[in-house]
Amino acid sequence: MSELGIASGKLSLMTHVVAGYPDPERSFELAVTMAESGSDMIEVQIPFSDPLADGPVIMKANQVALDAGMTPVKAFEMVRELRLSTGKPVFVMTYANIPYAIGLKRFFSMALEADVNGLIVPDLPFDSSLQEYFDLTAEHDMNNIYVVSPDMEPDRLRDAVVSSSGFVYTTLRVGITGADRGNISGKGLEFVRTVKRYTTLPVAAGFGISSPEQFISLEGIADIGVIGSKLIKIYDTGGTEEVGEFVKKCVSDHM
Amino acid sequence: MFKEDQYFGEFGGRYVPEALSSALDELDCAYRRLKDDKNFNNELECELNNYVGRPSPLYFADNLTRSSGGSKIYLKLESHNHTGAHKINNAVGQALVARELGKKVLIAETGAGQHGLATATVAARFGMGCKVFMGEVDMRRQYPNVYLMRLLGADVIPVPHGTRTLKDAINATLKYWIENIEDSHYLLGSALGPHPYPAMVRDFQSVIGREVRAQMTEREGRLPDTLVACVGGGSNALGLFHPFMDQDNIRMVGVEAGGRGDGPGEHATRIAVSQPKQGIVHGYLSYFLQDENGQLLPTHSVSAGLDYAGIGPEHAWLYKEGRTEYVSVRDDEAVKAYKILARSEGIIPALESSHAVAFALKEAPKHHDDHIMVVNISGRGDKDIFITAALTDKDNWKNFLKKEAVDE
Ligand SMILES: Cc1ncc(COP(=O)(O)O)c(C=O)c1O
Repeated sequence: MSELGIASGKLSLMTHVVAGYPDPERSFELAVTMAESGSDMIEVQIPFSDPLADGPVIMKANQVALDAGMTPVKAFEMVRELRLSTGKPVFVMTYANIPYAIGLKRFFSMALEADVNGLIVPDLPFDSSLQEYFDLTAEHDMNNIYVVSPDMEPDRLRDAVVSSSGFVYTTLRVGITGADRGNISGKGLEFVRTVKRYTTLPVAAGFGISSPEQFISLEGIADIGVIGSKLIKIYDTGGTEEVGEFVKKCVSDHM
Repeated sequence: MFKEDQYFGEFGGRYVPEALSSALDELDCAYRRLKDDKNFNNELECELNNYVGRPSPLYFADNLTRSSGGSKIYLKLESHNHTGAHKINNAVGQALVARELGKKVLIAETGAGQHGLATATVAARFGMGCKVFMGEVDMRRQYPNVYLMRLLGADVIPVPHGTRTLKDAINATLKYWIENIEDSHYLLGSALGPHPYPAMVRDFQSVIGREVRAQMTEREGRLPDTLVACVGGGSNALGLFHPFMDQDNIRMVGVEAGGRGDGPGEHATRIAVSQPKQGIVHGYLSYFLQDENGQLLPTHSVSAGLDYAGIGPEHAWLYKEGRTEYVSVRDDEAVKAYKILARSEGIIPALESSHAVAFALKEAPKHHDDHIMVVNISGRGDKDIFITAALTDKDNWKNFLKKEAVDE
């Protein structure tokens, strides 16, 4: 945990931005605002044309970002800037075709150059045949974070959790990303507790967190709460400033 | 740690979010058990014979053979199946698997509407719910099938995202499935997607090749020399090819959509291009039309069923192994072949299948009459009337549509 600079025993906030949404400059400003408002870590998504784990809000943001000219190279440049200017941990989330298409070695050298703290690729399961990817994460001591889902078979869940490094990313429901989908279910919270029993790594929880209250309710259960779609919705109506206010509310209310 | 049986060489696999892993395992397990189960196979055969109308004819196209002056051309008429295409073979098979799993709703993607129509049909037949996801662009250009699916009781859901075509319909169906795993079965329409779909769909379509083998042996006392089929995702082609894989001397040719040009967005040729590019999309590793950053490119084909940026992983593997070959046929060549087959044999093929016919017409004269070629007519052409009539009889067709609209 210290490796990521996450205070132990306290709920940390990871906020999500789609690199290039609504355009390259403003997505960078948005990420900086999140960090300055108290977000402990930033998840930067490299946009993809066919984002399989994302609901309509993030899917649309991916498309807008691509239309605005965002590329993997520019996204890693943005991450590097973020690391330098905020000092906060930055995780890169994307889909398997991005590293695969631009070349795994090239992808990793860009990630190292940008000083990324870890990679999250939800459609690259731990038992896939892309061994070179896993070898590269090991070779470069790169955190490789798996996203695990409440409906996984217990054996598979354990294998995925054990294969994870940096932290483990749990989804609070069986589903795709999206905001304002109702309360966090007891089942979702129970799942986070189950995953915590399998690992000493920090455990993040996300998918559906839509209010400071929901975020705060994870205190004592998860180590990290992840907010994504909701922030895009807030940005779309209230801009960077309101995103900053929302982030401040999350972090101040539980201190 | 990876499971070899989920791959065709390096291709295929199961590149999906973990939320789908248990549903895919459940399906894999059930299918593995059922595929050798006597009762299941008896019931499947019964449905294929009595409902689908199998076996489909293997027709000797003597007029076409004479006019092209080379190899003997046989047509496997999947166009004779109930709902007019090969898609129903797979739909019936998967519906039976879904029923075995206790699923209540069949969900499906569709491009042209043929697979959606087949799914809506079997859902009605087996008393199951049905949701079909279809890109908004496709809904507009294939409205007759939208109407028919709704008539059959299916809920047709427009997909407004991305390019609003087949690839986006696949995304939408996978996402709906992730959120409704308990009671729904994703009835995927081609030999693609995460394991076990590519193998399962291929198996259900292999009835095509098995019949050809038996029919050809009876008619000619031997097996054919060349097999030709169009390749969208690849299911009708694999269905024809697969039962002949033990025959090293049979040539197998997959025909891709050449569209209207070589530029990005102008075609849907994934393999028969100068540099096919591998990718991981829609849960499987294969060849995809994509830009240098891995973003899928838009595609074009006059036939909606071939208008897709990926190709099933088994084709990718067979191609890399040198077992099968791939060629590309342009829109105009396909439309020309469509007219030729109609006039010479009284058979109106689907625009997809017309691509295979176009290749056969070019290839047949290169052989002698002791060469036997089988062309898969994967579907019939009625469904394409709004496209073909607008292309081949524009003024009359437009007038008709105008009058119909005014008479209301
Ligand atoms: C008549 C017909 N042929 C071929 C195809 C292409 O699919 P596949 O390559 O899976 O056979 C379609 C798809 O909609 C179709 O409707």
